[in-house]
Formats: sequence, C-alpha cells, structure tokens
Amino acid sequence: MTKPILIVGGGPAGLAAAHSLAAIGQKSILVEKEDILGGAPILSGYAKLVPTGEWAKDAIGGMVERVKNNKLITVKTGTKVQSFTGEPGNFKAELSDGKPVEAASAILCTGFTHFDSVNKPEWGFGTYDDVVTTTQVEQMISSGQGVRCPSDGRTPKRVAILLCVGSRDRQIGREWCSKICCTVSANLAMEIREELPDCHVYIYYMDIRTYGLYETGYYWRSQEEFKVKYIKARIAEVTSDGEKVIVKGEDTLVKRPITIPFDMVVHAIGMDPNVDNLLLSELFNVDLEPHGFIGKGNTYGDLGATSRPGVYVAGSATGPETIDDSIAQAHGAAMSAYAFANDSSIVAAE
Amino acid sequence: MPIHEEHLIRPENIKTKDNLVIDGIDVSGHWSTFIESRVVTDYNEEMEEEIAALPGGEFIHRCWQCGSCTNSCTVNAINPEFNPRYWIYLIRMGMESELLRDKDIIWQCVSCNKCTYACPRDVFPEGVMKATSHWLELKGHTEKSPSMHFDEVFAEQIIETGKIEEGRTIRNFFKRTGQSLTQDWMIQMVKNLISNLPVKLLISMGLANVLRPKTRNWAAAGAAISEYAEEKQEEQREALGLTELVEMAKQETESLESKANS
Ligand SMILES: Cc1cc2nc3c(=O)[nH]c(=O)nc-3n(C[C@H](O)[C@H](O)[C@H](O)COP(=O)(O)OP(=O)(O)OC[C@H]3O[C@@H](n4cnc5c(N)ncnc54)[C@H](O)[C@@H]3O)c2cc1C
Ligand code: SF4
Ligand code: SF4
Ligand code: SF4
Repeated sequence: MTKPILIVGGGPAGLAAAHSLAAIGQKSILVEKEDILGGAPILSGYAKLVPTGEWAKDAIGGMVERVKNNKLITVKTGTKVQSFTGEPGNFKAELSDGKPVEAASAILCTGFTHFDSVNKPEWGFGTYDDVVTTTQVEQMISSGQGVRCPSDGRTPKRVAILLCVGSRDRQIGREWCSKICCTVSANLAMEIREELPDCHVYIYYMDIRTYGLYETGYYWRSQEEFKVKYIKARIAEVTSDGEKVIVKGEDTLVKRPITIPFDMVVHAIGMDPNVDNLLLSELFNVDLEPHGFIGKGNTYGDLGATSRPGVYVAGSATGPETIDDSIAQAHGAAMSAYAFANDSSIVAAE
Repeated sequence: MPIHEEHLIRPENIKTKDNLVIDGIDVSGHWSTFIESRVVTDYNEEMEEEIAALPGGEFIHRCWQCGSCTNSCTVNAINPEFNPRYWIYLIRMGMESELLRDKDIIWQCVSCNKCTYACPRDVFPEGVMKATSHWLELKGHTEKSPSMHFDEVFAEQIIETGKIEEGRTIRNFFKRTGQSLTQDWMIQMVKNLISNLPVKLLISMGLANVLRPKTRNWAAAGAAISEYAEEKQEEQREALGLTELVEMAKQETESLESKANS
C-alpha cells in the first residue's frame, strides 16, 4: 500500500477527489480549514443549485456524508497545512494540529473567495441596507426566510440584479469572467418571481453568458416563463432617496440615461482567487497564473498538474468553475495523483 | 447660440430662459440655451403584459433584440423612424414615455409580414405592431387608425350579413374616415371596372348594392360571432384595466340620458 494522498480543501472538488481515490482503494487525508466540509455551497448557504435544481444542502450534503463515512479517508476539519517538504512520492507535511503527515502526492482543492462588494463603493453595498449580494439572496431563500428587504423586512416589488460585480473590471484588476454568475442570477431571478409573483426582476448586463445548455433552462426560461427583464447597461451608480435605492446608468439600446427606483439591488458577485493563494503558492511551491489562481501545468496530458511534480490542483482553485466541472476536474486530478503515487517513476520518465 | 445638428434634438428639450440667474450669473437669453437630457425615471411594468393580452402581442417576451424585423421591414426602408425592434424593447422594459413619442408612426405597419418570416424567435412582430396600435387606441393615446376603421367596417358587415360586398365596405370605410367618395383614383377605377367587366357581373354587383343580400340562416351565426367578439373585447378591456372606465362612462351616459328624458 502506498502512502496516502493529501487533499487540501473540503469543497465539492476536495470531496470528489477523496471519494474517487477511495473508490479505487487509495487512502487520502482531507484537510479543511473551516469546521465543516462542503465548501462555498455549504459555507455560504446556497439555495437551489444550477443546473439540477437540488438544494445545496442535499446535493453537497450527500457528498459530505459519503466522505465522512469512508474508512479510507481521514478528515481533518479546522486544520491547515503548515509546511510541505520532501520529494515527489515522499512528501512530508505538517498540519496546524502539530501532526506530521506523509503523502505520496497532493491535490489542492482550495477553491475561491467571493468578491467583496465594498470594493465597488459606487454600487452602494455597505452604504444602503437594501443593496445585497447573490450569496445573501441565496441565504434568504435557503433559510426559508424568503426574499425581503433587509432595511425593514418588506417584500420587494422591484428588484435589480447587477451582473459582473467584481468580474470583467479592469478598474479593480479583475479581467476574468466568473462564468457562473449570469446563470446563477437568472436562476435567482426565477426563484424570486416564483416566491413573489408581484415582484418584477430586472437584470442589468454587459453580456449574458449563460453558456452552453444553460441558454434554454436559464436565459430563455427566465424570460419566457418568468418574464424576467434583461437590460443592457452597466450601472454607473446606486444611490438612494431615503426610501428606495436608485439605479443610475444608460440603457444602451435606447441610448437614454435611466434613474430607476428599486426596492432591492443585488450584486452578482464574482469568484476571486482564494485569498490564501499567495501563501499556498509559497507553501506548496506552485506557480500562480496571471490572475492569481493556481496555475495549471499541463492542460492536455497530465490532468490537474501544477508547476510542481506530484502536486495537483482541481476545481475553482484554478479559476472560476461550476460545481460539476470542479467535480470532474477533481476526478481527473485524483487519477493523475493516484498514478503518480503508485508509479511515480513512470510518470516522471515520460 | 447655433446648435449643430439641431434636428437630432427634440424641440421640447431645448431650453432658453428669458430671465435666469444661476449662482449670481445671468444666463438669460439665446446665448445661454440649455439642452435638457432625457432621462427615463421609471418603468411601467403593466405595459408588456397589457400588450401581450391583445391579439398579436402574445409572443413579445421572446424577443432577443436581434433587429431582423427592422432590417427586413418594408416601412423602415422608407422611414428609418419606423423601428419594430426598438418599440418591442420599449414595451418589454416598460418605457412608456419613450413609446408614446412614436405613437403617430406605429400604425403605419403595412402588415406585409416580412418581419414575421425574418424573426428567429417567432415573436410575430407584425402582430405586435397591431397589438401596439390597438393598445394606443384603447388607452386613448391615438385616434382610431384608418386600418382599424377598415377592420371594423369589414367585421360589422360580415356579422350583419354573412357576406362581403366590397362596394359597401369601401363606402362605409370612406364615410368613417371622412374621405370623399369622388376621389380621382376612385372615379378612374370605377370607370375601368365598367368598361372592362362583363355586363352580367356588373348587374349582379349593382343588385347586391341595392338588395344587401344575406347568407341564408345567418342570424344565429351572426349573433354567436358578435357575442364572442364582445366577450373578447371585454377581456381586453379587463387586461388593460379599462373595465372601470367603461363602466363609469356607461353610467354617465345613462344618467345624462335620463336627465334629458325627464
Ligand atoms: C453566488 C454563487 C452561486 C453559485 N451557485 C452555483 C450553482 O448553483 N451551481 C454550480 O455549479 N456552481 C455554483 N457556484 C460556483 C460554486 O460555488 C463553485 O463551483 C464550487 O464552490 C467550487 O468548488 P471547490 O471545491 O473548487 O471550491 P470551494 O467551494 O471554494 O471549496 C474550497 C474549500 O477549501 C477550503 N480551503 C480554502 N483554503 C484552504 C486552506 N488554505 N487550507 C485548507 N482548506 C482551505 C475552503 O474552506 C473550502 O471549504 C456559485 C458561485 C457563487 C459565487
Ligand atoms: S458570468 Fe456573467 S455576470 Fe458573471 S462575470 Fe461572466 S458575464 Fe459577468
Ligand atoms: S409587417 Fe409591419 S413591421 Fe413587419 S415588416 Fe411589414 S411593415 Fe414592417
Ligand atoms: S426579429 Fe424577432 S427577435 Fe429579432 S428583434 Fe425583431 S422581434 Fe425581436
């Protein structure tokens, strides 16, 4: 039996990697810094997931249970990796609980960090109570409380969702598209319309990127079945008249300035590189790609490779990813890490 | 002060004040002309649903603003202000004030349906144009359009007689739209008809004009159709929130009548 494989991060990617290693009889150690497993969908309390419509706590909860009950997986929550030394095939890590760990290879599944909307002060988050983020709306729905204006608890009659908050914005050094927020916003818009049929939802966009098959189920369904409205405008400013929040911008299709009152404004926040990435890069001696995510070493051959042999990466640690793609990547990386652990000489010789 | 390309600005947005002092600076007169920006300050959320409730408007929410309808449009080729894509957008987003600026050109749609065949989303823009003209009339923003008068004359005649008799339709249409029957082209057309059509046909056309023939046993069918039409019209008024207004108008007429009678 080879040494275990070290997995860092217990979100969808880490959970999937541990599960697939166990499925082929490989031991692993799963290290998660938070006290619970599940990653962003659980930690941030997402509601119904794209594209299955399953509640996050059921879908990801199921993945968590599967891992917790597996004897081949050692789960360490509330724990971080302090040091990582040794040779490929014979790594030595020290955990924050003081325990040393030996590992044949490692997979980084350390995920992303939500963009913090206070970094776009012109859009009113942190200034007006009724300006919220997509994660807050997810929580309003998943907690069963329902969508309400935080200022006074009233049900909103008109909601604006602003896309690309913290994405595709050179002003704040974020040139990437976060990939999932258009679809997530269309999904939330439908959930709002379902709960509150009298509440109109407007989505302000630069482009709509409900890519691939999401076109039908999200982009069109939200318009055809749920009468969600899409307006091509990048909002300049969110202000308030004391009662409503006022969205200012230009409706580019009619070339007309708009100042429209809303009960609630939602920021579709993007996916930032994990705030720990600089530390992780130093600790595991892996390169970051130019945006600050963990760089991929090999796209077409050794799935999930980083710049360092024996250290792999999967999921939104590599850039904005969906849950299903994170899981698929984790399976790929698990396969690579397993092959490396069991016959590193062959992989190294190639 | 001369404004370049002044025709691009709506006249009501050009402001010149005879007496205006701002922060102690006199900005009166011609040299201090302001151009007011037009800002959309609210959406009328009912508008899309109202127009969707009228025949032809049902599929407006499918539009993805590709512009194929405008591109293929017969009227747009002559009048660039006639822009179905643009109006569909205004309606969907509820920009009523912007739509009303174009209320006097929307009815110009010639129902050629080129847009219908170009539209990749099956919006039926031609239907939307019809529904929009209808909406403008029902809401009192425009007078009844000539084509609406024509439709009404046509439908009334069918409901009454079960037949279409063109001569009568045209006469009634001209009457309702206040047009003279002795227009040059009309006289010319009738002359041509008389000299070119077989005598038998001319006689039967003349008789039809005088005798007003009906389809046999038409009364029941006519009543059913008119009942159905009234039902649909009632639904439309309901959808547009006009039922109360109609009720009020009815009561007012009744009370006026009873006053006049007593
Ligand atoms: C508002 C919003 C809604 C979304 N909704 C959907 C959806 O409906 N469907 C969908 O497919 N995707 C959705 N996504 C994307 C989804 O969140 C990600 O695809 C998914 O979370 C990626 O999983 P992951 O395991 O790669 O990373 P994460 O979920 O971020 O998990 C990373 C884990 O690693 C841990 N960790 C981080 N750093 C360390 C460290 N140094 N040491 C130890 N542990 C560490 C974290 O605590 C976390 O538990 C949404 C994203 C947002 C922002
Ligand atoms: S997915 Fe949509 S909202 Fe998100 S960054 Fe890309 S374009 Fe913007
Ligand atoms: S039906 Fe009307 S809107 Fe459509 S192409 Fe013809 S004129 Fe234009
Ligand atoms: S062709 Fe159809 S989809 Fe395209 S703008 Fe016109 S109505 Fe909309």
